Amino acid sequence: MHSSRGRRSPFRVVASLVAVGALVGGLAACSSSPAAPESGLAQAGAEGVDDGSTLTLWTRAPLEKQAKLLVEAYNSSHQNKVELTVVPNDDYVAKVGAAAGSNSLPDLFAADIVYAPNWVQQGLFQDLTTNIDGLSFKDQINKGHLDAGTADGKEHVLPFVLDLSMLFWNKDLFKQAGLDPEVGPKNYAEFAEYAKKIQALNLPDTYGTATGLNCGGCTLFTWFPSIWADGNEVLSDDGTESLLASDDAKEIYSTWKDLVDSGAVLPSSIDEAGPTWTAGFTEGKVGLQFYPATLLSSTPFDAGVSGIPGVNGGQSTFVGGDGIGVSKDSTKGAQAWNFLNWLMSEDAQVGVLAKNGDAVSRSDLTDNQYSSADPRVVTINEVAAKGKTPVALNFQQAFNAPNSPWLTMIRNEILGGKNTVDADNDQISAVLSQ
Amino acid sequence: MTTTAPNRTDASKPGPPLRVAVGKRKRRPGGQRGWLYAAPLAIFVIALFIVPLLLVGQMSLSDWPLLAGNRGINAPENFVDAFQNRFFLDALVFTLKYTVIATVLLLSLGLGLALIVQESSRWKNFLRTAFLVPSALGLASASLLFYVLYSPIAGPFADLTQALGFTFLGTADSALWSTVFLIVWRFAGFYMLLMMVGLQGIPGDVYEAARMDGASRWQTFRSITLPLLKPTIGLTTVLCITGSILAFEQFYILTKGGPDNSTITLVQLIYSIAFQGQNNLGVAAALSIIVLVVLVLINIVQIRVIRTDKEN
Amino acid sequence: MTSTLNRPAATSTRHHGGGRAEHRSSLLAPLAKLPYWVGTSALAIIFLYPLIWTGVSSFAPRAGTSQTDGWGFGNYATLANYQAGIGQYLANSAFVSLLTVALTLIISTLGGYAFARFSFLGKNVLFLLTLGILMVPYATVLIPLYVLLSRVGLQNSLVGVALVLTMFQLPFSIYMMRISFESIPPELDEAAKVDGCNTFTALTRVLLPAVKPGLITVGLFAFLTAWNDFFAPLILINDSNRMTLPLAVSNLRGQVQGVVDYGATEAGVVVLALPCVLLFLILQRHYVTGFMSGAFKG
Repeated sequence: MHSSRGRRSPFRVVASLVAVGALVGGLAACSSSPAAPESGLAQAGAEGVDDGSTLTLWTRAPLEKQAKLLVEAYNSSHQNKVELTVVPNDDYVAKVGAAAGSNSLPDLFAADIVYAPNWVQQGLFQDLTTNIDGLSFKDQINKGHLDAGTADGKEHVLPFVLDLSMLFWNKDLFKQAGLDPEVGPKNYAEFAEYAKKIQALNLPDTYGTATGLNCGGCTLFTWFPSIWADGNEVLSDDGTESLLASDDAKEIYSTWKDLVDSGAVLPSSIDEAGPTWTAGFTEGKVGLQFYPATLLSSTPFDAGVSGIPGVNGGQSTFVGGDGIGVSKDSTKGAQAWNFLNWLMSEDAQVGVLAKNGDAVSRSDLTDNQYSSADPRVVTINEVAAKGKTPVALNFQQAFNAPNSPWLTMIRNEILGGKNTVDADNDQISAVLSQ
Repeated sequence: MTTTAPNRTDASKPGPPLRVAVGKRKRRPGGQRGWLYAAPLAIFVIALFIVPLLLVGQMSLSDWPLLAGNRGINAPENFVDAFQNRFFLDALVFTLKYTVIATVLLLSLGLGLALIVQESSRWKNFLRTAFLVPSALGLASASLLFYVLYSPIAGPFADLTQALGFTFLGTADSALWSTVFLIVWRFAGFYMLLMMVGLQGIPGDVYEAARMDGASRWQTFRSITLPLLKPTIGLTTVLCITGSILAFEQFYILTKGGPDNSTITLVQLIYSIAFQGQNNLGVAAALSIIVLVVLVLINIVQIRVIRTDKEN
Repeated sequence: MTSTLNRPAATSTRHHGGGRAEHRSSLLAPLAKLPYWVGTSALAIIFLYPLIWTGVSSFAPRAGTSQTDGWGFGNYATLANYQAGIGQYLANSAFVSLLTVALTLIISTLGGYAFARFSFLGKNVLFLLTLGILMVPYATVLIPLYVLLSRVGLQNSLVGVALVLTMFQLPFSIYMMRISFESIPPELDEAAKVDGCNTFTALTRVLLPAVKPGLITVGLFAFLTAWNDFFAPLILINDSNRMTLPLAVSNLRGQVQGVVDYGATEAGVVVLALPCVLLFLILQRHYVTGFMSGAFKG
């Protein structure tokens, strides 16, 4: 009986064989450590290799415009060809993760700079130290981005596109409210005062200020600089402890609570989860707003620009945007370096980025033929030097994720009116130190 | 057909899901040929479903960060982490709440619409088409459509909602109901169709008899339509509950789990653990296994209930 | 078996329904019908309004979109010129959808036939496993699928996407085709065999025409899902030139940080929805009969 049953179930045998095979296969596929293929980075030399290879490059949708300009300029002046793939912002991590798991990352890929420390630590990028050290202008490259990509003293990431948070104001609305259209607020109290003045104009469908109060990324991008401008920090040096229950931070929360309560904030800001957080200002409905500098070229009216004022004065900015590196799976390191080397050159920084009104990643190039045409670009580049990029391994989970404790904290403080800031801050630290 | 009493044995013939169990009664020759025809299906199911599922099982037992890959077995840590996740309980409660609301609404509305358009006339054919057209859209397209529709900037109700100080996705309750509305809009037609099929299976003479007995419409509905529709209601309930517990895209596009983490479903939690922060495939896989087990249990219970119902 | 039960039932329901309507209208005349007309019209409007509004407003002017002054095709122009061009994305989507439909039809016809007409070892297990596909969260199996597909060289391939989408269509399709075959009286097969058909020719010559409504329903569903699916191509496709339409629309929506191009989103939804709605309307009669022909009878 036993034997007859055994003979009669070829299905079961096949099924279990397949199952076992799959498990073993799965194990084998995924336990292969990132003992990277010989990529040729070490032999890349200063310039890299331009031999007509095809390179793949991934970036996320919000940086598409800049990435496309850069890739087009590179392709038209080099034999190598870069193929650009743009991924929806919210799904970028999923895509990179899936590719990393099966060793099929593109040659080059960009990372939101706040994720870079984590991705570097997970081994997604190849070590670029020798190559970067060979650059004569290394000390002029944006330090925030370089630091974010540095682990154990090894550099993995160069700045791809910088995005800086700045204070933008609508000069027309400033004039109507009797404010000097050329000068922005000097500190947080003045910022609130200006917003209320514009609100007091009682213009239809026009508000003092706006932000995304349901968007962790928007708020950290625009609020952290006010703490830095005072000379304080938002995170401990090792990125495992949150310092966001400080007096400065509390001042920011209470200012925003007051602004919301007094009706000076665009109503849709309350639920704004990010996708349209700057739309109100772009449409001229908002007086002044902390705003990404990459949008300067697409702001259709005359806007004033300054660094973000500190709680007690001073200015700073959040040096965001994307860093870029050579992926662990690339076998064309020398060619990829050719692109990166060009990316850092004056041709790319000035000829492409500055021409498009974007910030340059080298401090020695901030004064260039395009910036002199628009003094606001000079302002942006100057503030960039004072800016910072926070470094923490669990940054995404603690701050950017839709269910992050940072978002819980600011919503509790500003909309809930609960006095739970210390407990909420501990929650952020708990996630950061996981 | 001269029956006056509801012909229950006929109307409630073992339905498709139950034939699985009773299928052995019909002995047909040709086992090998059967396998030959079923082979493509078997290959697909094994290669593209069972094997990945086993891999999910392996992930759930391993330390498996999204970006770094497998780091070896760590069971049962992932399951512990999954249960201890600070959103696990909220997500579970919310998913169940959403499932109950969606199921009750979709089934009752599906039945109601089916009763309205059951007969054939020009107007009713038009209505039927109108109710069914939304089901031609993908869930993602439908969610995108409502994303614009609900938008306080571009939506058609933007001015109205602003005047009323209300937003579609602003509070926990409004976000839930706005999403439920999208789901009802998208799926009501489909459930209507299933209900129509069920209604069609009820012999007309049963109604005839009820009418001769002087039963009111409500009485007829309660004592004839509903009982005879039980198999259909059972099947649609299984479908609807399964679909709702796995709800993801609609919340992913419309609310992203907000505001204030009030609309996180289980699958969304899985997604966010895997891709939005923790980037831990192990815990995400453990949670998937938990959801799978819960679903299988729920469905077994439901099918049991339907079956015992039938035997009585 | 099911169909013999079904037919007389269907006709008498209709008859009965007609009688009731007559009875009522003769008594209470047009006035009593008013709430009915108002109610059903309102329902129809609720169901159609979102679609019509999206269609209309995709042409309407709006600040922050490509259609700022007057009515026109600005949003569609943006969509058409996006990256590789909409033609490429439409072609990719069409390829994936048609391949999915073809695979789904072949597998579910053979599988449904096997389940309905043969008994074989592991039949119930296989059927339950197929239905089990419904119960697994989509997002979690995609990563293992990605790993598997890349091991057989199908990463970044539209064929791989079609395979995955077909797999997700199987529970519904197999169920539907099984019922469709079961509702055909076995006498039909017997007759075919007497005429010298083997099981395969009986299937292709005699049974296939009889399950046509079921096939159309299954095919339509496969098309709708494949055409609209977002996550499978997102994870499985790396190359801009191989992206499908939903992915392109989603990219276009969030192109500039902090600003959603609502106009392009609407145009995208319209382009995504239009083929589906048209196909749906054309096939509606068959599709409804597909369901009515015995499937889902509880």
